Amino acid sequence: MKNIILEANNIKKCYDKEYVLDLENIKIYEGSFNFLIGPNGSGKTTLLNILSMIDTDFKGHIFYKGHKVKKDKVDVLELRRKFSVIWQNPYLFKGSIAYNIGLPLKLRQMKDRKVEKKVREISEELEITHLLDKSHNELSGGERQKASIARALITDPEILFIDEPNNSLDYESSRYFNNLFSKLIEEGITILLITHDLYQIENYADYITLLDNGRVLKSGLYENMEI
Amino acid sequence: MDYIFSALKEAINLIITLDSEVTNVVGTSLKLSLTSTFLAALIGIPLGILVSKIDFKGKYFLNTVLNTLLSLPTVVLGLFVYSIISRKGVLGEWGLLFTIKGIIIGQVLLILPIVVALVRNAIHDIDEKMYKTALSLGATGSQKFRLLISEARYGIIGALITSFGRVIGEVGVSMMIGGNIKGFTRTITTAIAMETNKGRFGFALALGIILLSLSFIINFILYFFQSGESK
Repeated sequence: MKNIILEANNIKKCYDKEYVLDLENIKIYEGSFNFLIGPNGSGKTTLLNILSMIDTDFKGHIFYKGHKVKKDKVDVLELRRKFSVIWQNPYLFKGSIAYNIGLPLKLRQMKDRKVEKKVREISEELEITHLLDKSHNELSGGERQKASIARALITDPEILFIDEPNNSLDYESSRYFNNLFSKLIEEGITILLITHDLYQIENYADYITLLDNGRVLKSGLYENMEI
Repeated sequence: MDYIFSALKEAINLIITLDSEVTNVVGTSLKLSLTSTFLAALIGIPLGILVSKIDFKGKYFLNTVLNTLLSLPTVVLGLFVYSIISRKGVLGEWGLLFTIKGIIIGQVLLILPIVVALVRNAIHDIDEKMYKTALSLGATGSQKFRLLISEARYGIIGALITSFGRVIGEVGVSMMIGGNIKGFTRTITTAIAMETNKGRFGFALALGIILLSLSFIINFILYFFQSGESK
């Protein structure tokens, strides 16, 4: 068993007086490929929003490396800046792709020259330098996703949250992303991935949490689980 | 036809020679319109953002009123402001009638609903995903707000240009509140109305050409920003 990097206890989330999430415990293991699976509407994205501290309007407690996270501005911002999220349909801000990729660093007050250098480095690593001067709405679905991954990785996040990245992508792009995520795991990044893709689960999952109707049905090491 | 051609010739001559009366009227109009637009922007942009982002009781009613005020007839507004700032009005003692300040108050009231409504629409059109993405990138509250304004920038600039276009072409408020005083509160539109009645067709035509050119420039800039939004 690897170390627990993020743990959530007694998480409850309400929409219109109805619980959409009501779970006792969920653990995210460090340097591992953690999968969050379940049918549509089971609360996967809601849980991702909570674990990544995008949504702080919930009951319950989050522990990061054993320390209880306060829901105040300082703690929340500090954690958000340790995490990165890749959304299913990424939003790109108006401007060039270089601007979009460098934006998280600018928000952290990094100097322009250093931002440019980092943007160049991550783009070369992901082989997307040809996209840098393009406008935010000139990209295909796969290219948008690549740009959003570069934007997510430029901050060297400790945990990468990914919400169904392969949806509506072609085979080549899906393969590209799967290989990239495996490489990131080898480099020590923790990944929490929401997916319906059985191929991904069978080939990459270290730990799995199965959600249904806002509750955890099963959770643990993939190799010990029957799904 | 000769009458029209000679008037046109006179009008072009007045424009080319930068006739002092023409430049004075145009200068007054531009000064008034720019000041009114600036003040309406100061009040209207924050209001537009608030109306878009904050839920409150009566929001539906307020939005309906705002939409109605978009097509407010300028003479009706002129009448309303006149009733307030005329000698017997609530603000009669302030001596605002037939002054530049009086016209500015009227014009700000005229375009404020336009600024608020168009800024509201520009902010409303921003994809909800923008907020989540900004947070996930590590934006603070103020950085998120700056990103929001940046994303809506073309819509906000468009709102201001539209307001400027509305105010520079209006005649009701300027006539009723300003009184069309030569060299003081006479604007392009009030001068056109008066000079045509006086038979100075060439002079009125010169102002008409300038107003039309200004309108063209405003629309050209507006189109530039609107096309920028789709890039």
